[in-house]
Amino acid sequence: MSYARWFTIYGPSYLNALGWTALTAVLASLGAVVWGCVLLLFRLAGGPWGARGVDAYMQAFRNTPVLLPIYLIYFGFPLIGLPWPAVICGGLALVLQNGAYVSEILRGSFKAIDRVQFDAAKSIGLSPWHTFRKITLPQVLVYSIPSLGNQVVLLLKDTSLLSAITVTELTMQAKLLTEQTGAAYEAFMVVAILYLILVSGTEVLFRVAHRAVRWR
Amino acid sequence: MDTPTFLLLLKGAGVSLLLALAAIACGTLLATALAALAFSRLALVRTFYRLYIYLIRGTPLLVLALLIFYALPALDLRTGPYLAGALVLTLYVGALFAEVFRGAVLAIPRPQWESARSLGLPPLAMLRKVIGPLVVRYALPPYVNVCVMTVKASSVLSIISVWELTFAAREIIERTLAVFTVLGIAAGIYFVICFGLDRVGRRVEHHLMLKGFVGEHV
Amino acid sequence: MIEIRGLRKAFGSLAVLRDIDVDIADGEVMALIGRSGCGKTTLLRCINFLEEYDAGEIRLDGQPLWYRPGADSRRRRVPDQEARRMRQQMGIVFQQYNLFPHMTALENVSLGPRFSQKVAAAEAEDLGRSLLARVGLSDKVDAYPAHLSGGQQQRVAIARALAMRPKVLLLDEITSALDPELVGEVEDVIRSLLSEPIMMVLVTHALGFAREVAHRIAYIADGRIAEIGTPAEILEQPSDPTLKDFLRRIR
Repeated sequence: MSYARWFTIYGPSYLNALGWTALTAVLASLGAVVWGCVLLLFRLAGGPWGARGVDAYMQAFRNTPVLLPIYLIYFGFPLIGLPWPAVICGGLALVLQNGAYVSEILRGSFKAIDRVQFDAAKSIGLSPWHTFRKITLPQVLVYSIPSLGNQVVLLLKDTSLLSAITVTELTMQAKLLTEQTGAAYEAFMVVAILYLILVSGTEVLFRVAHRAVRWR
Repeated sequence: MDTPTFLLLLKGAGVSLLLALAAIACGTLLATALAALAFSRLALVRTFYRLYIYLIRGTPLLVLALLIFYALPALDLRTGPYLAGALVLTLYVGALFAEVFRGAVLAIPRPQWESARSLGLPPLAMLRKVIGPLVVRYALPPYVNVCVMTVKASSVLSIISVWELTFAAREIIERTLAVFTVLGIAAGIYFVICFGLDRVGRRVEHHLMLKGFVGEHV
Repeated sequence: MIEIRGLRKAFGSLAVLRDIDVDIADGEVMALIGRSGCGKTTLLRCINFLEEYDAGEIRLDGQPLWYRPGADSRRRRVPDQEARRMRQQMGIVFQQYNLFPHMTALENVSLGPRFSQKVAAAEAEDLGRSLLARVGLSDKVDAYPAHLSGGQQQRVAIARALAMRPKVLLLDEITSALDPELVGEVEDVIRSLLSEPIMMVLVTHALGFAREVAHRIAYIADGRIAEIGTPAEILEQPSDPTLKDFLRRIR
């Protein structure tokens, strides 16, 4: 079967799956950045125990595959009375893991901020919270744009793992179509191309954002 | 949890480790060849390299695995999931290693190239005595990083029915519902392997530094 | 008025300030001069509590700053919130401007009033605009620091310090990092402030400027005020031998 024909027949179901992949990736990325900021705040303001806790958290997630937290939440939460939809469970796992990496990225950027700015913030009477929110965080986020772009691409690709817990995103859709039609690999070819487009789009988006910052 | 279950998980860990080591070994060889393409004089060859990296890095490992898993029978290569799994993992980490090597070559300061050339060393000696050690020095930390990633990435193969640690864990929790214990132990095993690899990598780096092989810490 | 009594400060075993006693009267402009490393910048930073000090007392209009006597005769730092409130009575301008690079000139100036003094956004913005106009930067309101010259950045920094409506302005070698042709515009801004009732303490190497604007000059050597007096006394009839030497070298 030609790809053109394939697409006219199965286009709508791909589109639906594409929506789930994109939605999960966008929301989980936002969640991961927010969670990464919270972890950075713990590290900066949580005293020695805060820093140690964040370190342990980071090592734990850095040295285990993301499938494990996905399974842990998907299979574990119903046992403790939280029967959440699969996509929420998977999304949460992606947030928890990528948040660990994001906080490391942000920490790297934090070192690039000129220390003297904190003297200036003190001298105009800014509270620690306002200093973090108005001075530290905006600069840290902007310096991190390129690395955050890489992380978002990784997260986007990892949404394919949610097919293992029944989320009908792109990869799952391709599997279903393969089983339905008995086709060999055409369905995955189409999905691979869609991922390539999504990944390239994300990269372009972050490059544009990086260039759009006027104050550097 | 009973002993047989634990042993089952350990056996799964053995398979994961073997898969990862095979992929690291083959991937390193593949990457060396690929990285050579990146510095070819022919624009076409360089474009091929870039295309390969772009395709591999732009596609989820799982999709690559499914593609190969379903395509191999279609090509009438009768292989089990293990070979398909090892193959896709190799292709995948090969691209990552290649980027590590390319980055390391590019990181070599220009004066080093120039002084090596000015000595009039033959190309092979230059590669062995000057460029090689420098590449090792710059590549080692990210290389170890990719090794850790390989171990973690091997878990994805469980989805294409490769029986390894994650597959074993999922099998057991669907049977016994001991979700937290089993996944906890599996996570512990992965942690030990990955963290261990990282430590070994640092040891090697330290060792090479002491021998004066890789110079100061980079 | 500022009263400083018995101020002492050491970095580890290195005594930077030993027993500083000095008063600064309302509306007075005081210049601090001395060799680099003599402690004059540290003194300025102690007044603003950017550095903690080991002993001594600083009062502003009779109110003791930064430390309070504790029950066990050891002093305690005032709570952070109170320290912030105290700090708002002073403004400091740094040698390296220290502007926030991700904010426009206007945002830099109105940040303090807006978030430290809880002034309404529109009002803080009006204040910012009028202060930027005052330092001659009406046309640079929306410019980012990276797009301003050193002199312009330093003028924004002065406006930022003034935005807190401080009783005291602390100026730490504010022209040292500038290209010579940009020094004048910054000095002009300081000159224009002389008619205000604001106290100023300026650390400087520019003796000509100190002579022109300061009511008194304090020569600091080895962590002490070695000599203090009117510009004429200090610059023309110095009695301290190290001061004579210092003046000879600097000219």
